[in-house]
Amino acid sequence: MAFRLLGSALEGALRVNDRSHRIGSVGHRQVEHTADLALELWGPDETAVLREGARALVAILTERAAVQPTAKRRVEIEALDGADRLVRWLNEILYLATVEGFVVCDAELELDLERWDGGLTAELVGQAHAADLLRTEIKSATYHDLALEHRADGVFARVVMDV
Amino acid sequence: MTMKIDFEQIDAYRWRIPARGGMNVPGLVFASAPMLEAISSDRSPEQVVNVAKLPGIVGHSIAMPDIHWGYGFPIGGVAAFDERDGVLSPGGVGYDINCGVRLLRSTIDREEAARRLEPLAVELYQAIPSGVGSQGRLRLSAKELDRVLERGAPWCVETGHGRPEDLAVLEEHGCMQRADPGRVSQRAKDRGAPQLGSLGSGNHFAELAYVDEIFDPVAAEAFGLREGAVTLMIHSGSRGLGHQICDDALHRMLKASHEYGIELPDRQLCAAPLSSPEARDYFAAMACAINFAFANRQMMTHFAREAMVRHFGRSDEALGLEVVYDVCHNIAKWETHEVDGVARRLCVHRKGATRAFGPGHPDVPERYRSIGQPVLVPGDMGRYSYVLVGTERAMRETFGSSCHGAGRKMSRMRAKKSARGRQIFAELRERGIVLQAQSKRTVAEEIPEAYKDVAEVVDVMHGAGIAKKVVKLVPLAVVKG
Repeated sequence: MAFRLLGSALEGALRVNDRSHRIGSVGHRQVEHTADLALELWGPDETAVLREGARALVAILTERAAVQPTAKRRVEIEALDGADRLVRWLNEILYLATVEGFVVCDAELELDLERWDGGLTAELVGQAHAADLLRTEIKSATYHDLALEHRADGVFARVVMDV
Repeated sequence: MTMKIDFEQIDAYRWRIPARGGMNVPGLVFASAPMLEAISSDRSPEQVVNVAKLPGIVGHSIAMPDIHWGYGFPIGGVAAFDERDGVLSPGGVGYDINCGVRLLRSTIDREEAARRLEPLAVELYQAIPSGVGSQGRLRLSAKELDRVLERGAPWCVETGHGRPEDLAVLEEHGCMQRADPGRVSQRAKDRGAPQLGSLGSGNHFAELAYVDEIFDPVAAEAFGLREGAVTLMIHSGSRGLGHQICDDALHRMLKASHEYGIELPDRQLCAAPLSSPEARDYFAAMACAINFAFANRQMMTHFAREAMVRHFGRSDEALGLEVVYDVCHNIAKWETHEVDGVARRLCVHRKGATRAFGPGHPDVPERYRSIGQPVLVPGDMGRYSYVLVGTERAMRETFGSSCHGAGRKMSRMRAKKSARGRQIFAELRERGIVLQAQSKRTVAEEIPEAYKDVAEVVDVMHGAGIAKKVVKLVPLAVVKG
């Protein structure tokens, strides 16, 4: 489903410093935002970006605590498109951590773009009953200034978190 | 990349953004000239423009002087929508639905509190659960939680957590109508249920202060604020319940925006026509979060009263811990306002802005009606806060709205860098302020200089005649998450 986005919502929204990554590399960085916290993510494909997003989010939530891979979870997410999928994915990771105490340390993701709901299935690995690892409160990943772009050298995303 | 916005100066405190390029109404920014320069350095003016593009917006897309870059709507934004062709936008309310501020007065003198500040701060810190994922002391059944969502602060009073007279001085009397727990997802309930009666983290706080200066003796007298008397301010909202209700609504509204053909300058502005099932369902869920937040602040009021009684060894009545007022910051409400001489029913979105109704309005508590509604404006934890009073002019120009705080000027990252190597607790202690906090990182993010000087913000509101200064409060002890 396509959205009509006006003005500068996508144009110029993604300002990843191209020198900060190499072709095919995976990474993230935090970007200044007056009230909140923005993340830029990049990777060779969308699943790598989503995985990196989960890692980055958990690193912020736990202030980089060591998370033990002792439990597994399976999640399925519906989405309107790639950018929406990123927001919903991050909010799922956030929900599991803050409400259920399941803190993710890795994920195997499968994207089925043919599915009507833009589906994402993921096998999560992490630590259960680990709410005490959380050090930072994040309310949500937001749709503001959201971008996910497929470029010749990989996928780049930007998401703002409400903290 | 910041969009270039042209401002037309109206007077010393007002700037118009002419309606161009898809804007349905002009923008109206309240700021001094130096503040406008600072405001223009982030993307909040662009957000004022984006809000002006939403269907059915009436009057102006308004920004208060504490405006800063938010998500979707700017923080410090006010927008009113016509009931026939307007929209309801969850992003225009925000994640922390009914984040707000409550102020209590007391008969305790500043000197008495100052003599025992450290143990008093510890007592409050222990009484009010705070910090990341903090949980309240109540364990609510599903049925009880639904009652909280329907009833708000009155539920607390009915269950012995407050006085009936508290309710008379809360916005909406602490209970928003049309709340329907059936419109709240199980996820939202699971997220919020354990958190009733907890402060949370970030910029939320409980603060003991004293009345340092009186600007308007008549209004101060009406609000029961005496020079040198100790006050207690509580800033918190609907916690995880509100965050999840916003998330749930955004997912649905994104689809709805597309289906209703609403063009989105920013996805976070997704919205649905006020008469649509999507908007009605969100309103019913939002009202539940509003009530949860009213109840949350009421529970913390109760805990704080218990702590003060324990500490001072005097009765609650003797300590005179009475609620002055309770304002909402993040909210959408049905209100009637005069537009071009005609009374219209509007859905007013206040995102990081407070209601500031003037004298004579029936929604102002009876005891303040001849004066106007108290407007509570917290500053940063190291300087001061203000109590203002709403005006008739606010009714005409801002749909009865005013600023809500100092407004951030530093990102959290920059604040942390600035705090590195410093002893923030000791710095505050030198200013006579005791800080009790769960997290040093939160303290670093919340250093006083991370915020604008709230005195400059309220001077703009006062100078513009939107809300008039009543008293200045100076902090004594601050509890943070």
